[in-house]
Amino acid sequence: MAMTVELPALERTDAIAANPASSGRLRRWARPALGLLLPVCIALAWEIIVWLGLSNGRLMPPPTKLFATIADLARSGELTRHIVATLGRVAAGFGLGVVAGTLLGAISGYWGLARRLLDPTVQALRAIPSIAWIPLFILWLGIFETSKIVLIAAGVFFPVYLGVMGAILSVDRKIVEVGRTFRLSGPAMIRRILLPAVLPAYVVALRVGLGLGWMFVVAAEFMGASEGLGYLLIDGQQLGKPAQILAAIVIFAILGKATDWLIEIGTAPLLRWQDAFGGKSGAA
Amino acid sequence: MLVLDRLGKVYPNGVNALERFSAYVRLGEIVAIIGGSGCGKSTLLRAIAGLDRATSGTVTLDDISIAAPHAKIGIIFQEPRLLPWLSVADNIGFGLSELPADIRREKIARALDRVGLADKANAWPRELSGGQAQRVAIARALVPQPEVLLLDEPFSALDAFTRRDLQDHLLDLWADTRPTLVLVTHDVDEAMVLADRVLVMRPRPGRLFEEIKVNLARPRDRNSPLFDNFKRRVLTALDRSLDRSLADADPKTTEGEAMWW
Repeated sequence: MAMTVELPALERTDAIAANPASSGRLRRWARPALGLLLPVCIALAWEIIVWLGLSNGRLMPPPTKLFATIADLARSGELTRHIVATLGRVAAGFGLGVVAGTLLGAISGYWGLARRLLDPTVQALRAIPSIAWIPLFILWLGIFETSKIVLIAAGVFFPVYLGVMGAILSVDRKIVEVGRTFRLSGPAMIRRILLPAVLPAYVVALRVGLGLGWMFVVAAEFMGASEGLGYLLIDGQQLGKPAQILAAIVIFAILGKATDWLIEIGTAPLLRWQDAFGGKSGAA
Repeated sequence: MLVLDRLGKVYPNGVNALERFSAYVRLGEIVAIIGGSGCGKSTLLRAIAGLDRATSGTVTLDDISIAAPHAKIGIIFQEPRLLPWLSVADNIGFGLSELPADIRREKIARALDRVGLADKANAWPRELSGGQAQRVAIARALVPQPEVLLLDEPFSALDAFTRRDLQDHLLDLWADTRPTLVLVTHDVDEAMVLADRVLVMRPRPGRLFEEIKVNLARPRDRNSPLFDNFKRRVLTALDRSLDRSLADADPKTTEGEAMWW
């Protein structure tokens, strides 16, 4: 009985969703385009101002100069070398931070005694700005790759740790009880109840962690590197090449966004069931 | 046969939720447990389910002592408690993971059909109405063919129309394999429609107050004078059970203990 009452309502919402498909496509492109309007206008204006000779554009190079710099760097192979170096550091640091954060976060979330033992220390460490560790890391681990990767990992660790622990602690007791009534063993409970329940929050934690990873790779490369995008920044400052600095910044933005997007599309199939996720990716 | 022998439960905070509760339920019988809030009826059901341990007394099913969830006992909660990341079909098959895939699929399909949700097999739980979700929960509990099915106020969150619909539906499904049903409710009508016997409980401490046999043929006419007559008896018993301890009524203390880890 209830079904026959509800079915027409369902069909109606489907019809509404299907109908404005054509205008929906327009809206999907129109919204990001709207967001691009302001930066494109500013870039154009700056280009014109420099072209008219109202500014020499030395400290703030116009977009054409910026792209020419990127193209030069790309042609000489320098760009690839720097990108590979930076990406490698982020990947290694992110990987390390995620593994450590997930492991300790899971232990703290799952096991009350471990949480009481471990969490206060981790929270205290979290209160220290991670950049403050740089001198110590250099003393301990040398100036080369190890100290850089450890710094990035330290940055990634905390949001992942907090995210995993918080997600496990907030798993609905009522859902866990369903697992108990079906007599799931410990591992089955983790695989069939806890992991899927924790996943949405985990993805958010990974994305926050990745953001911090990109932040810390710059700090890491500031502390003495011979290659990497952070090196391009320092090099540009010391040799007075603002176009190179801006080029590195633009590439940071592109890489940061691209890697974040990879996490998003990589996990989207696992989160299809979620109300909020569908709504968000539809709107973006 | 399900035997409850002098069950008692004292919560760590000192609340005496259940005291010396003894009863038996025959195979295939439908028993409703009814009582005011705080009378320990949910505590009792959770003890039978093996979710919470009673502090004294025993639960035995066919001479097997029940201290943890058992394959022969299924439970349906007040909320559907579907797993939001599984499709409707996978939710129904949640308790069948040990079966070969083809038998599992077949059982799920039959259950979906039986609860009238065949067209929702691939839907997510969030796409269901409250009544549909509770029907999936019923299917999920019944599909492993439990000997005893426990129901903890299963329809109390639904609107009156859907509730009636699901009560009839439950009886219909029950007739398939005739498991024992133990139903906790605060809805006298629901108890009257479903139960062979109604156990009225008295709060603080939760105790068995009165047992009323409902000798009415099924399907029962909710409007017949005989139905009304039984209903009045239950209501009178309920009134008397609450008489003594209305003054110190406090919110439900029957929620479970902390998380299992």
